[in-house]
Amino acid sequence: MASVISVGDESLRLCVFDLRRGQTEGQELDKILFFHPPELDVSTQLSVIGLSEGAIWRIDALRRVLKEVHSLFVMFHGSVRALLEKEPTGGLTRAQLYPFIADYLSTFQKRSRSEDCCCDLFVGKKLQLPNFRETTLSERGTVQMLTLARDTALEVQSLVQVLDSCAGNLRCHSMILFQDLLVSTTLSADDTVNLFTFTVMRLTSKALSSDASSWSYLRKGSGSSEVSSRSTSAPVGSVDSLHSGNGDNMLHVIRPLQHDKWKKGKDGFLVTDIWGLETGGSPDSAIPTVWLQQTQERVYLLAYQYKSLTLLLLLPTTAILNGDLSISAVKQQVIEQASLRIMKIEEKISRGWGGENAYHVKGYRYLVVDNDMEISRASPSGKVATLAKESLLALNKLREEVDLEKSRAQKKEKDLEICIRAKNNAWVIARVSRGKELYMALEKASDTLLDATDAVGRFSNRYCSGAFLMD
Amino acid sequence: MSNRPSSSQSSVGTGGLSHAYIQHPSLRCNVPESRGLFYDDANRLLICVTSDQVFSWETASFNPEVSPSADSISEGPILSVRFSLDKKVIAVQRSDSEIQFFHRETKKTLTHKCRAGSESLLGFFWSDSPLCDLAVVKTSGMDLFACDSAMNLRLVETKKVNVNWYIYTHESRLVLLASGLQCKTITGFQLSTAGVVRLPKFEMTLATTESNSKPIISAGDVHLITVYGRIYCLQVDREAMLLHTYRFYRDAVVQQGSLPIYSSKLSVSVVDNLLLVHQIDAKVVIIYDLFVDSRAPVSAPLPLLWRGYQGSDTSSQATNKENEGPEASTSNENIVMYEDAWTFLVPDLILDQTNKVLWRVHLDLEAISASSSDRTSLLELLQRRKLEANKAKQLCLGISRALILERRPATQVTQAIDVLVTAYSYSVKAGIYKELKNEKTTATTSTNGSSPDNERQRASGSSISEEEVEMDLPSGSADGQQESQLSSPAISPDELYKFVFASVEEMMIDESDYLVAIITEFLRSISAEKLKVDLNIYVMTLRLLAHSKRFAELSLFVTNKIIEPSKEVALQLLESGGQNLRVRKLGLDMLRQLSLHHEYISSLVQDGYYLEALRYAQKRKVTSVRSSLFLEAAFASNDMQHLAAILRVLSEMIPGFKETSEYYTFHGLLNETSSSVAV
Repeated sequence: MASVISVGDESLRLCVFDLRRGQTEGQELDKILFFHPPELDVSTQLSVIGLSEGAIWRIDALRRVLKEVHSLFVMFHGSVRALLEKEPTGGLTRAQLYPFIADYLSTFQKRSRSEDCCCDLFVGKKLQLPNFRETTLSERGTVQMLTLARDTALEVQSLVQVLDSCAGNLRCHSMILFQDLLVSTTLSADDTVNLFTFTVMRLTSKALSSDASSWSYLRKGSGSSEVSSRSTSAPVGSVDSLHSGNGDNMLHVIRPLQHDKWKKGKDGFLVTDIWGLETGGSPDSAIPTVWLQQTQERVYLLAYQYKSLTLLLLLPTTAILNGDLSISAVKQQVIEQASLRIMKIEEKISRGWGGENAYHVKGYRYLVVDNDMEISRASPSGKVATLAKESLLALNKLREEVDLEKSRAQKKEKDLEICIRAKNNAWVIARVSRGKELYMALEKASDTLLDATDAVGRFSNRYCSGAFLMD
Repeated sequence: MSNRPSSSQSSVGTGGLSHAYIQHPSLRCNVPESRGLFYDDANRLLICVTSDQVFSWETASFNPEVSPSADSISEGPILSVRFSLDKKVIAVQRSDSEIQFFHRETKKTLTHKCRAGSESLLGFFWSDSPLCDLAVVKTSGMDLFACDSAMNLRLVETKKVNVNWYIYTHESRLVLLASGLQCKTITGFQLSTAGVVRLPKFEMTLATTESNSKPIISAGDVHLITVYGRIYCLQVDREAMLLHTYRFYRDAVVQQGSLPIYSSKLSVSVVDNLLLVHQIDAKVVIIYDLFVDSRAPVSAPLPLLWRGYQGSDTSSQATNKENEGPEASTSNENIVMYEDAWTFLVPDLILDQTNKVLWRVHLDLEAISASSSDRTSLLELLQRRKLEANKAKQLCLGISRALILERRPATQVTQAIDVLVTAYSYSVKAGIYKELKNEKTTATTSTNGSSPDNERQRASGSSISEEEVEMDLPSGSADGQQESQLSSPAISPDELYKFVFASVEEMMIDESDYLVAIITEFLRSISAEKLKVDLNIYVMTLRLLAHSKRFAELSLFVTNKIIEPSKEVALQLLESGGQNLRVRKLGLDMLRQLSLHHEYISSLVQDGYYLEALRYAQKRKVTSVRSSLFLEAAFASNDMQHLAAILRVLSEMIPGFKETSEYYTFHGLLNETSSSVAV
C-alpha cells in the first residue's frame, strides 16, 4: 500500500495505490485506489505511481500528511487492507477513499481561504507553493496541549471521572479540548492524535463557526461542492447516488470529513447527518463511530460543546448494541452530572487563558516536539509569519538534516545539536535529546554563536524544564 | 439503611439500643440526715445540706472517690445554697425575704433582708460582671450588689421589672425574668464580664385552645441552653405540643422554629453541643443538632440507658436497668428512669433526689453512627464533636473506609471526603487542631477577647454568648480516664491517606479505577483548601494508574503536577516505566528537574545512555556516580570507541584517575580488544 503526493507543473497529484493489485497486463489501473486530479489521463496517472518526492516540501512533512489522512481513514473506516479483503472488487474502498481524501484535502483549501494563512495544499485545481511557515515550525501528527494550573487540572480530572461514569459501569474514554488545544485524554497517544486532528478540523467551536461563515462562499465557488461533483466522475460512480442508498445491497458511503455537516444541538451535543438521519431505522445507527487502535474496538463518538470547550465521549458500540446502554441515557447523564462542571471549567480556563499568543516567547520562533508523548508546541503562526524567508528556508533545511540523522540512528535515540547561520544572519538551531526535539530561529544578527546557544539554554530551562541540556 | 460490616451494636438485643446513657458510678451524697440536695451551677458543686452543715462535691471531675468539703452554718430552713465565685462565701436563702451569708474563713455572718410584704425574694446568683458580684431577684425586679472581701453588700443598681419567676444559667450569664398574666413576657439581662446588657423584651409563643384560653408558662417550661457558643431559649408549648426555640443575639431575639414533643413532661440536657430532649412520659430521648438548619432529629427516639461499668465504651456492655445486671445489684441503687425525683441540671447532669445521686448523661457516638444512614450528615455531626474527639475521629475513619470498601458511588465518597477535609481545614484555621498543651493558652486568649465591647465591634447578629461560653464551657476533660488527649476529631490529609487510602489499597487493587477516582477527588478537595498531603499518596496513585495501564492519564497527572514531583514519585515512575518507556522517561525527566543528579545519571546508564549520562555528569560536575558504572556499560555494549572516550573524559574529570586500578583495568581491556584505538 502506498500513497504519493507529486508536485510538478504547479499542480498536485495525489495517489493511493496498491502494488499487489493489477499485476497482469491491462489491469494496471486496478492498482489505483485514488487519484487526484481525477481528470488526468490514465497514462499520466500510472506514471505518477512510484514517485514520492515532493519538490519543496520536506519529505517528512509530506509523509506526515499522508500518514495523517491514512490514520484518519483507518479511524473511520478501518484499515484499507481489511476493507479490500472483505470486498475484493475494491468498489467500496474506492468509493470511500475518493470522497474521504477529497474532503481531507479541501480542508487545507478552506483553511487558507478563511484564515488567510498560506497552508495551501491546493487552491482550486492548482497547487500553490507550499508555505514553509506552515510546515517548518509545526509538526503534523502531534497534539498541542493546553498548560493547566494544578487546581484546574484537578477539576478537569474530576470532570473526566464524571464523564467516565456517565455510561454506568462501562469504562468509556473521553477527550477534552479547549479551542484547538488538548486539555485531557484517556486514550492512547495514537488514538488521541487522530481524534484530536479530526476534532480540530471539524468539531471545535472554531471549526464549526468557520464552516458556517464560509458556507455561502463554498456554495458559490469551487469548494467542497466541487469535490463532490468531481467525485462523480470517479471510476465507481456517483458519490451522491451511493450515499443515498440505504439498502443493504447498496454501497453505503460515509464521508466523515465532509464540511458543514456538524451543528450544535440545543442540548449542547453536536449533531450530524453524515452517518444518516436519526429518525430512520435504529436510532443509534446514525451516531458517528470510530475505530480505536489501542483497544481494537469500534466506539460511538459523542461530542458535547460549551463555548470553547469541546468534549468527546467514546462508548463501546458492543455495549449499546447489546442493549446495556442507550445513547440518549448517556447524553442525559452528561447533561445532569457534568454540564455544570463543564461550565465552571470553561470559565476557569477562559479566565486564565492568554489568548492566541499565549505560548509566544518573545524573541524566539520555536517548535518543541515530544515524540514520546506525540505532543508539540510552537510559536503562534502569526509570530512565525514574521520570520524572513531566508530563516525559514534555513530552518527547513535544518529539519531535513535532522530527519536524515534520525533515520540513520534508527531506533537508538541520539542526542544531537545543529546550529546554522542563515544567509540573513539569523541563527537556526536544532536540538534533539532523547526523543525530544527543539527547533528555533533567532533573527538577532548580532548574536554570536555563544549568545545563540545561551538563548537556547535559557529557553530550554525556562520552557522545557531543561530537557535540552547544553554542552 | 447502613450495613456497616462491624457494629458492636448488632450483637446486642434491641433492649440495649440507645444513643444516650448514664453510667455507673454516680456521685453519691451519702450524708446522713441530709435535708436536701442543691446544685451550684456557677461552681459546679453538688451541695447537700443538713440542719447545720453544708457538704459540697466538685462535679467537674466527677470523681466518686473524692470526699466532700463540709462547712458549718447556723440552723434554719434552706431554700437554696450558692457559693460565691471565689468560693469564700456561702449564701443561703432562708425565706422569701432573707438571704444569709457565711464567710468560710472569717466565719463572719451577714443577713440580707428585703422589704417584707411589698416584695418577695425569688432567688439570687453570684456574678463575675465588673459591675456587681451578686444579683438578687425579687418580685419587684432585680437588685445588683457589689460585695467586698469583708462581705459588705452595696447596692449598685436596681432593675425594676415585675417578675413572676426567673431562670438563670451561669454558662450563659443570662437571666430571664418572666412577667405578665401568662408569664410570657420576658425581660433578659446578661451579666457578662463586660457589664450588664439588657436584651430586647420579647413575648413567648403560646397556643390557646378552647379548654385553655390562657395557659401559663412556668419556670420549668423554659430552658436556657448553650450550644456551639450560641444561647438558645427553649420553651414548652403544651397546647401545641411544641418546643419553641429562640436564639439570642445581641440586639434581637429570634424564634428559630419548633420541635415536636411527645410528652407533657419534658426536660433537656446538652451533651457536647447536642441537644437531648427528654420526653419524660414516653421515657425516651430525642437528640437534635441545632448547628444545622434542619430541625430533624439526629436519631430516632430511644430510651436513656443505664450502664454498669465505667470504661465500657462499647454498647455491648450496656445494661438496661430492666435487665438488672449483677453490677446494678452491687451498686445498691434502685434506679427508675425518669422518675419524678429527677432534676435535670445544666448542662448534662441528672440529680436523683430519691437515691441522692448525681448522674452525668453521655452520648453513644457509636450507636448514633450505626443507626444513621446519611453518611455525609453523620460525618459532619461527628466532626463537630469535641467531648469524645478520639472516638468521633475513629468513627469517621471507619465510615470513610467502609464507604470505599462497599464501593459506594464515587460522588458519595467524594462528599464524605469533602466533609472531612473541610472540617480539618476549618479546625486548622481556627487553631483547634493543635497539641493539648496549647489549648490552655487558646482558652485564655479567648477569655480576654471576650468582652462584649470587642464583640460589639464585630458583625452585628453574632451570638451574645459566643465568648462567654468559650470561657466557661466545661473543658471537655470530664471523663479524664476515658478521654484521649485529642481536642478535635479533625483528620489531617496525611491521616486520611494512612488510615483510609493506604489501608484499603491492597483490597481494592483490582478496582484501581475507582480508587484513583476517589483519590483524585481527595486531592481536589485538599487543593481547594490549600492543604498538603503525604507524598506517598502520589506514589500510590501512580501505582494504581500503572496497574490499570492508564498511561495517558498517568502522563497528564504528572505533567499537570496533579502528582507533585518528588524523588519518591520519580522512582515510582521509573519502576512503573518497566511496562512503558514513556512513563520511565517521565521519571527521568522528574529526576533531572529535581536536580537529583546522582539518580538521574545512574538511571541513564541503566537505560544504556552512558554517554549522555557522562556528558551530564561532566556538565553538572557530578562525581558521586561510580566511574566504573560508565566504563562497565560501555564495555558491555562492546563499543571500544566509547570506552576510550569515557576513559579520556573521566581522566579529565577526576584528578588522579589515571592512577586508579580502574583505569588500568579498562585501559588494559581496551588495549587487549583493540590496539588501534588511541587513548
